[in-house]
Amino acid sequence: MTETRFVGRTYETEPFEVTAESIRAYMNAVGDTRVEPDLVAPPTYAMVYGFDAYWQLWSDKEVALDTAHLVHGEQSFTYHRPVRPGDLLKTTGRIAGISARGNMEFVTFDLSAKDAGDQPVSEASALFIIRTP
Amino acid sequence: MTAVREVVDFKAIKIGDALPDLRKTVTVEQIRAYAAASGDRNPIHLDDEFARRAGLPGVIAHGMLTMAFVNQLVTDWLGSRGAVRSLQGRFAGMVLPGDEVRCTGTVLNKDDSRRRITLSLGAANQRGERVFTKGVAEAEV
Repeated sequence: MTETRFVGRTYETEPFEVTAESIRAYMNAVGDTRVEPDLVAPPTYAMVYGFDAYWQLWSDKEVALDTAHLVHGEQSFTYHRPVRPGDLLKTTGRIAGISARGNMEFVTFDLSAKDAGDQPVSEASALFIIRTP
Repeated sequence: MTAVREVVDFKAIKIGDALPDLRKTVTVEQIRAYAAASGDRNPIHLDDEFARRAGLPGVIAHGMLTMAFVNQLVTDWLGSRGAVRSLQGRFAGMVLPGDEVRCTGTVLNKDDSRRRITLSLGAANQRGERVFTKGVAEAEV
């Protein structure tokens, strides 16, 4: 069982430079290749620029989440503006909740991304479920 | 690359309208490409042996790949990626290589004063088992 004392712990990404190549690699991977006049990242690309915050949580040896038995349960995003090449985005993730029910454990992770001018770009919340065998 | 499409006509949208379905067949290659593009190289998505030891039938697709399909259902219909204001949902089932994911959506609400559309979204596999539920998106058109 993950210790509840880790609620409130935060993780910050290095500034992520959004490039046209990175957006196109993502679009090609998911098969979302419709052309728009302006290259704007698909909304779920928030998972790419924020990914290092998730990675830091999953690999935090103190918190020690059982990642082999971790599944993604729910996800939400809110967007303040579109993301384009040239954006420099920094994401902060925060462990917002840890709870258990039976052999299942629930970890809520909230994220907030800001641009180089410190203006909000997007927020996200992930629910991870760990099933102890 | 597919052609540029006009942004959806706000006036023509009606509550209850169904979005055209989006179908995607997931492959091992696509899961690998998603891992590379997103950075998420968790071995349950890449290593069959590891996935089986974790109690899975083999490698599974990232939940976020399914959500990306649902996202595309919305933005293809809107004709705009920048118009989405929120997106959420629940990963209700595993998606395995070879599965065909069918994404569906309907217009739940329309707010004329704010030019906002609320959509109800979901996805199921080829056996009709739901893999993404309680999906909701908001867009400003």
